[in-house]
Amino acid sequence: MDPLYVVLIINLIIWLGIFLYVNKTDREIKRLKKEVEELGLNSQKENR
Amino acid sequence: MLVKIGKWLLFILFALTITGVFVWAPLREGLGEFTRVIYFHVPAAWMAVLFFLLAAYYSYRYLQTKELLFDAYAQISNEMGILFAVLATATGSIWAKQIWHSYWNWDPRETSIFILLLIYGAYFSLRSALEQEDRRARLSAVYSLLAFVTVPFFVFIVPRIYFSLHPDPVINVQGKVNMEARQRIVFFSSLILQTVFFLWVFNIRRTQVKLKMMIRRYQETQTFKEK
Repeated sequence: MDPLYVVLIINLIIWLGIFLYVNKTDREIKRLKKEVEELGLNSQKENR
Repeated sequence: MLVKIGKWLLFILFALTITGVFVWAPLREGLGEFTRVIYFHVPAAWMAVLFFLLAAYYSYRYLQTKELLFDAYAQISNEMGILFAVLATATGSIWAKQIWHSYWNWDPRETSIFILLLIYGAYFSLRSALEQEDRRARLSAVYSLLAFVTVPFFVFIVPRIYFSLHPDPVINVQGKVNMEARQRIVFFSSLILQTVFFLWVFNIRRTQVKLKMMIRRYQETQTFKEK
């Protein structure tokens, strides 16, 4: 196999992995932000 | 809105740069397709140093304030630092196989990054060996600061003291960049964009840890009140 394709495929796999990871973390952050809001922790911080 | 535009701009520039790496940038004589490794190898090595520096900064902040959040930030920085050090080693090895006909030669560069990996690997062993949170944070912060002292030595000094087969750094002793114009454009775009992108990823992880800690502290306070 041409080394160009090997490097290209490895590169694409790495970037896909990074994309999936960032996407997963971003979704978790949204969930955590909602939880923090529900607990009223944001307003507590502002009051302090 | 501005953040969204920034994200899309980063995505478009990234796509252009990666296309540039594989299509537009000319290959170097003798290196062939392996020229492209340099666009990922050098940024990875640079980011390893950057994240180790960030880890040292957060460790110092922890020792200064005793705020556990800084310890968590230092841990994230070291995780990302070690990840990029492994990536720099792996991409360097692929390159070495083509040029030196062997994945590993114990060249001063390879030896120094290997020692650095061991030093930072020990950071995580230390963390996992300590159960008490404050003690773990304090010792890890001191270790992280001491570990960072070795980084300039192993990354910048050792490879310049001993004879190395490793090519000149991107900006050599004469202060010149030994690259063709198109290679230079793609290389510096790749370096800048990867730095911005991974600092953004780091920021995402920081936010995640911060929110988790806020919730944990709230739950701990509630449990304490109930008691």
